[in-house]
Amino acid sequence: MRSKSASTFRRSIALHAVLVPLAIVWLFPIWMMVVFSTMPENAIFSPNIHLIPSDRFWENFLILQADTDFLRTIFVSVVVALVYTVLSVMLTSMAGWALARYSFAGKGLVLSIILGTLTLPYFVVVIPQFIMVARDFGLSNTWFALIVPPLFNSLGVLFMRQSFSMMPAELFDAARVEGVREWRIFLFVGMPLARPTLAALSIILFLASWNNYLWPLLINNRPDMMTAPVALGSLIGLTKVSWGGIMVGAVLLTAPMIAVFVLLQRHFIAGIAAGAVK
Amino acid sequence: MAGVSLKNVVKRFGTMEVVHGASLDVEDGEFIVFVGPSGCGKSTLLRMIAGLEDISGGEIAIGGMAVNDVEPADRGIAMVFQTYALYPHMTVERNLSFGLRMNGNDKADTARRVAKAAQILRIEELLDRRPRQLSGGQRQRVAIGRAIVREPQVFLFDEPLSNLDAELRVQMRVEIARLHAELGVTMIYVTHDQVEAMTLADRIVVLRAGRIEQIGKPLDLYDDPANQFVAGFVGSPKMNFMAAEVASVEDGRVTVALVNHGGARLTMPVENGFAVGDRITVGLRPEHFRREGEGDCDLPVKVDMAEHLGSTSYIYANTASSEQLVIEREESRSEIGMERLTVSIPAARAYLFDTSGARLR
Amino acid sequence: MRMRTRAAYGFLAPYLLIFATFWVWPIIYSFYLSFLATRIQPWSFNPAVTWGRLVVDPAFLNALRNTLIILVIQVPVMIALATLLAVLLNSQLLKARGIMRFAFFAPVVVGEAAYAAVFRLMFNADFGVINKIIGSIGLPPVAWFGNPTAAMALIMMAVTWRWVGYNAIIILSGLQAIPQDVYEAATLDRVSKPRQFFFITLPLLRPIILFCVVLSIIGTMQLFAEPFLITNRGGPGQATETLGLFLYRQGFTVLNFGYASAVAYTIAALAILISLANLWLGRSAK
Repeated sequence: MRSKSASTFRRSIALHAVLVPLAIVWLFPIWMMVVFSTMPENAIFSPNIHLIPSDRFWENFLILQADTDFLRTIFVSVVVALVYTVLSVMLTSMAGWALARYSFAGKGLVLSIILGTLTLPYFVVVIPQFIMVARDFGLSNTWFALIVPPLFNSLGVLFMRQSFSMMPAELFDAARVEGVREWRIFLFVGMPLARPTLAALSIILFLASWNNYLWPLLINNRPDMMTAPVALGSLIGLTKVSWGGIMVGAVLLTAPMIAVFVLLQRHFIAGIAAGAVK
Repeated sequence: MAGVSLKNVVKRFGTMEVVHGASLDVEDGEFIVFVGPSGCGKSTLLRMIAGLEDISGGEIAIGGMAVNDVEPADRGIAMVFQTYALYPHMTVERNLSFGLRMNGNDKADTARRVAKAAQILRIEELLDRRPRQLSGGQRQRVAIGRAIVREPQVFLFDEPLSNLDAELRVQMRVEIARLHAELGVTMIYVTHDQVEAMTLADRIVVLRAGRIEQIGKPLDLYDDPANQFVAGFVGSPKMNFMAAEVASVEDGRVTVALVNHGGARLTMPVENGFAVGDRITVGLRPEHFRREGEGDCDLPVKVDMAEHLGSTSYIYANTASSEQLVIEREESRSEIGMERLTVSIPAARAYLFDTSGARLR
Repeated sequence: MRMRTRAAYGFLAPYLLIFATFWVWPIIYSFYLSFLATRIQPWSFNPAVTWGRLVVDPAFLNALRNTLIILVIQVPVMIALATLLAVLLNSQLLKARGIMRFAFFAPVVVGEAAYAAVFRLMFNADFGVINKIIGSIGLPPVAWFGNPTAAMALIMMAVTWRWVGYNAIIILSGLQAIPQDVYEAATLDRVSKPRQFFFITLPLLRPIILFCVVLSIIGTMQLFAEPFLITNRGGPGQATETLGLFLYRQGFTVLNFGYASAVAYTIAALAILISLANLWLGRSAK
């Protein structure tokens, strides 16, 4: 017994000796983001090391807001992420439902196109998407341009399809025998049962939309229709800029997602892990 | 109230035909049981009646009206599923009323029907619970309740008791029989358990490999099976089958030699169609063996195992040979531990089958 | 039943419309574009200035080289680290599990713009906290944005910081799917913990690790935001220009859609080829 507990103790020490320093290194950038956002400009660029937050967050925010209407871009980002998430969840769960619970001509074809192109890099479609939306439709700097094209994402379809196909068929047969129409079976039996999957999917989609950088950068460049990450990115490149302000922007972009992560950690992790379950 | 009739019903999945032209008339108010081994097509047939599977050929009529192209909900049927198929996210009350609510049924009427079903099944106290808070037997009641609420003309049961433990199964069996007596509607019940079939059915439909082997009252199937399959399927323990060869044929009588039992000879009354040298099978139920000298053909056997259940014993004999025999005997304490036994076959109780399994009379 | 088929098409149609318009059609269209000379109106068929130019364009070859360097160094390091983290985070002996997980998983939710900003500031050559820490232990400061090698290292560190937790989550989920009794049996057979890791855990995790490798390869082939934002458009010079950044320049700065499409298809082809090679190696290793 003694030797066993001693070896357990040694392994525990080794484990923490590796993990704790690594964890500190990994937390450091997020911590520094907070620290920088609260520091006056001259302190950021002083030769001393500052590792403790100061009290200039509000001042830095006002500077940021003066540089660019950051609140407006946050508003755009929130609307886009919310609408995108709702629409994408609706579309992908309907499609996942169809692919999981019905047999129909063309089902195999649709599935194989989805699966076959799943890992194709986004860059392959970004140029035609841009030509189509910006030039052919003339829809740059619109809500449509921000929200609709990214709805093609097919991971949600597969995720929902898997969730629906694991449900027992008799449940839906029972509803059918009772004369419940197909869309009501979907809405009142299928969807409520898929709630955990829906939660995970919603979080992942919201996060993806919130952090989306390349497409909003390309398609919306008018200041009042910019998303927050694009606005923040555009400040980074400038020479004469307030870094305290930028860091406030970074904190405002990151904090809500961190909160979501902490509060809904299980769904969040399920959503990411689901990528591997296919 | 309605009967159900099947005319040459065929089911194909792709190119594979799984039901080959089943015909059957179920009378109004009758309790019909489909029984057969797994994969015999009994559930498929039931699901076709329900409208959950397309009918590839033939016609199904309920209450005299062809329903091939009628949606399940419009067929006047209700179905109880093997897994109960209760909606896990709804209370019992919501489970019972879901179909009616979804179809815009009058609220007061829905409430009345739910209350009535709950009362019939004695689940009034469970109405606010969710399925996962119920025991297996309670779930089963709710599932049946959901069918009752529809006030159907025909009840369909798909192996409803197979997920219950043995004791509950007996209890629910009685309950379903009571329900049938109380409601008096047509019920079609699928099971692989021949005891359920025997105890519940007005008439049993025995299926094998997508074909109806025999239709009849439970005891008629037991007493007068149409073929070797039905003979072996109905009755527990199973009927014994012994290989035999026709030794001599006289007018109205045939004598066969039991080839695996030292050529023991059994003479039976028959109609005709036998020839000396024909290979046939002799069938005898375990409970029909008699004591030595009391039958028409004495058979010494080697006892390999015996189960003494108090009032009866089951004796497993000749297990080492290709032809194991099961013998049911009235319990006799003096027989415990014996190794050899002589039993006797009464010719009147034996059945003859040809090599294809068809009954010879 | 016919009704039900119609219902299925009804459920599928809205998504399919979007999927066809913004995914399937662009895939086809972009392939077509990659054969067109798009710098002069009207566009004309001339693969020599797209596919033909690829093999001789030094800017493209530079971007390809940079991307492959990152791929070869960063992906294996990150996946090894992610596997180690997953195993350690899964340990029964771990204290403060919540904080530990938070430390490694939180970067997953941090957007590219936000973390690019922090990294730029932290690694600032004159006032950055990293160089201050390096200086405080007596080492000379590193020109993170001026020295090509340091800049590449910075990109790799940033990407690893951002994505290691993501991969660790996936590997951890695979780890938790391994039945515990396998380890109990091994313990009874006196198989030591390290041996259990190499002879039980790793083989069972191989499919999921390969999956992470493939994901990371595809991600690295498209690396864009980090060199765009952190090292300021692939600086110093073109030292951290990646294929993604090169495509962005050709497509959206120069507006040479044809050439950019050829680059896009090259990225896709390379990603698929390298992934397949990896899957093949992963399979034949056993």
